[in-house]
Amino acid sequence: MGSANPKGLSDRLLSGTDALINWARKYSLWPMFFGLSCCFVEKATALTARYDLARFGAEVLRPSPRQADLMIISGTIFKKIAPVILRLYEQMAEPKWVISMGSCANCGGMYDAYSVVQGIDQILPVDVYIPGCPPRPEAVLQGIVELQKKIETESPTRPIFNLKGGTQGSVTPLRVDGRTKSRDPRGPGMQGTAIRGTSVVPPDFRGSRTDLMWTPPPRQIALSSSDQDLSRELSTRFGDALQPIEPTSDMLTLQVTEDRLVDVLKYLKHEATPRFQRLDDLTAIDESARRQPENYADYTMVYHLLSFDSASRLRLKVPLQGQDPVIRSITDVWPSANWYEREVFDLMGIHFEGHPNLHRIIMPPDWQGHPLRKSHPGRATEMAPYTREDAGKLQPLDGGVYVKTSDGEQPLILNIGPHHVSTHGLLRYIASLNGEQITGLELEIGYHHRSVEKIGERQTWHQFIPYLARVDYLAGAANDLPYLLAVETLANIQVPERAQVIRVMLSEFYRLSNHLVWLATYAHDVGAMTPNFYTFREREMILDIVELITGGRLHPSWFRIGGVAAELPEGWKAAVDQFVSIFPKRLQEYENLIRKNPIFKARTQGVGRISLQEAMDWGVTGPNLRSCGLDWDLRKKMPYSGYENFEFEVPTATEGDCYARYLVRIEEMRQSIRIIEQAANNMPAGRYITDDYRYVIPRREDMLKDIESLIHHYINVTRGPKIPRGEAHAACEIPRGEQGYYVVSDGLGYAYRVRIRGPGFANVQVMPLLVVGESIADLIAIIGSVDYILPDIDR
Amino acid sequence: MEPMIASGTLSPWEPGVFSLTIYVILILIFVASQLIIAVWLGEKKKTVEKLRPYESGIIPTGEARLHYPVPFYLVAIFFLIFDVEGAFIFAWAIAHGKLGWAGWLQISFFIVLLLLGLFYIWRKGGLDWGPLTQKD
Repeated sequence: MGSANPKGLSDRLLSGTDALINWARKYSLWPMFFGLSCCFVEKATALTARYDLARFGAEVLRPSPRQADLMIISGTIFKKIAPVILRLYEQMAEPKWVISMGSCANCGGMYDAYSVVQGIDQILPVDVYIPGCPPRPEAVLQGIVELQKKIETESPTRPIFNLKGGTQGSVTPLRVDGRTKSRDPRGPGMQGTAIRGTSVVPPDFRGSRTDLMWTPPPRQIALSSSDQDLSRELSTRFGDALQPIEPTSDMLTLQVTEDRLVDVLKYLKHEATPRFQRLDDLTAIDESARRQPENYADYTMVYHLLSFDSASRLRLKVPLQGQDPVIRSITDVWPSANWYEREVFDLMGIHFEGHPNLHRIIMPPDWQGHPLRKSHPGRATEMAPYTREDAGKLQPLDGGVYVKTSDGEQPLILNIGPHHVSTHGLLRYIASLNGEQITGLELEIGYHHRSVEKIGERQTWHQFIPYLARVDYLAGAANDLPYLLAVETLANIQVPERAQVIRVMLSEFYRLSNHLVWLATYAHDVGAMTPNFYTFREREMILDIVELITGGRLHPSWFRIGGVAAELPEGWKAAVDQFVSIFPKRLQEYENLIRKNPIFKARTQGVGRISLQEAMDWGVTGPNLRSCGLDWDLRKKMPYSGYENFEFEVPTATEGDCYARYLVRIEEMRQSIRIIEQAANNMPAGRYITDDYRYVIPRREDMLKDIESLIHHYINVTRGPKIPRGEAHAACEIPRGEQGYYVVSDGLGYAYRVRIRGPGFANVQVMPLLVVGESIADLIAIIGSVDYILPDIDR
Repeated sequence: MEPMIASGTLSPWEPGVFSLTIYVILILIFVASQLIIAVWLGEKKKTVEKLRPYESGIIPTGEARLHYPVPFYLVAIFFLIFDVEGAFIFAWAIAHGKLGWAGWLQISFFIVLLLLGLFYIWRKGGLDWGPLTQKD
């Protein structure tokens, strides 16, 4: 060929065709419908009206890799999902390109955690990196433009005509830790130095100076008379097996011996007054890194129960001894304990006697060790780097492993997920089918496990706040509240009224924002395209207000212990007022489109039904519970952050089907806008953060002026406030249901244990009850109606 | 209604072996060139993963050849009944003037017979579509 002479005719011809092919390719990119976490929300937003990705020639997300040539890695790469990503990449059409979107995909970002791959470039070649956490939709557009520039430099004619030379698609070599990249978040050359903060966390604590500090004791409450009666009744009934733990910061707490646990729980569920019908949460604490280990057993099991009758909670603690302790399963008392116990088994290594299916649930099946034990490494950078060979080996299990069949029966097994348009995240359904009918459904979760609970044990109480909004990335600041309430309860921090109202207002904005995304995607799931194009318009209005107030969009990280981060900016009231005047009309428009639509009704009415009794028994919360007919909303029943001062109603429905869940959520939006209106009109004057600076980050103007505030600022920002030894639980009604935080402090600058009770975990566990017996098409309608989000299930 | 007489409105049809041969050869050349270009220019990167069926990013489970209830099959069979019915009725409709009352009676008998069949299918539940067993 003419390669010897660069100005030869054939080369000029080739460069002409190169330009032509590149021009065609760069304006007809086909991104795959592939999202991992928060970043995907911003990527999807880039397709909506305001940003309109279509202008750049990358119009439609393709659901199958066969039809796609661009993979935008949008979000955190989990070790459990990495083999799937590699497979999808291999299955894409040639030539193909990869954009790494967001800090997590670029380098692991803020998730230097055991379950996260520190950068997609360790397993896939990357053409363009988009920085940000998450990058804004404009940044996605910029990424596409950068990729187009890269495509312009390719010379694809030679490979197309099977000639030697030329390039097309991604050819960047993989990065290898220690050679072409450094996983160290501080950059290369720092290997000899320990990461800042490691000397004050378990197991050695040698750098901890928190012990020298004094704090007041944790908050102590006086038990209500009904709690005292219950405590006495239990003591007479179970004698020595049961002992009240006093004082307590938040609720009646009892210590039970392992052998009587099941009896106590049965009594509390069926006979006690009040009856505790719901198992709110079940978790364990590894006590091995306590500052005073002699006061603790090896492990402690913690059960939180909830009574609908008296709107109260109760905590049971069971001390366990031994390296791999065994405890009786309570799945025959509460069926919902099934997943919770599997999670404790997986992450803590505690065995449950009599459990029907005790296997790993969160971590990959071939994982070594139990991550939430104090002896397990917390950071990915403490472990061997994840490589492409690992991604080829550590495959998810075959679907047949999950399906239990009686002899001779051979159902059709269908994998739906983890990568699927309709699973709304990384979740795997394994459906057994008889024709079109679903005869069995198994779920595999854990593809989105970001190790948040473990991270909570190494970040100081303040440093942990940015991780909160990422637990439910569509509910933003609403996530921050339960954690802060728990810490504030434990340390007895009084929040000024103004800060409380600001928190309520932002939480309700995020409820609207979440429900708008839900409305759009749900309508889309059952066949209506139109709402998708419109609801993101109002969502952008909400995010604009949020951005005006907080500076952030999805993850503002703006609430603080003791208040919020800053004063409301100038012009916030006008922006909120304008939104309040517009939104109800827009909502009515959507209602007119959907509510009486015969197709929508046919797809949702009577589909995916769950009875109230089942919903209560399985710990279903939020709109999904209220659509079964129970008037249960924490904002009314156990008010927090001043919700008792607002006038609003709790919408309910009775059918418990997909349509009822739709009705409840729509009505909730109307109530949210009422709350926002009241909050904006009656915003109290006063401080935005408490004036007791012991635990909080002081106002900047104070910090610059007086030495006391400066010292508090210095201590609380660097080594973190010393929160008194104790424990507290707080739960809030976030958009998807009840999110509870249980924080345990050992009197140090960071939590000893943070437990997140996400609404999704319980709401998704009941999925087989909703789905089995329905037809396969209804599965999609049911999945959408439950409105879950993966980081909140897998945490 | 009589069939339209088409003489003079269409070009004369003069079948000839020569033009047909040319036509067939052109088609063969065209098809062959399409196939050759596709084989020549097509991407030939075959890896294990690429050739594997796509099932949401997971290695597919089991095989696709198993006993499978097919409600579609019944619907397809029923459709055949009404399809054939259409063929007979259209044919009759074109010539209904010539066939007279006797023809009308015959076709009515035919339609009634089919309607009985439809009624039978309906009563038997053949038109019900949905899950084979009801939930709960």
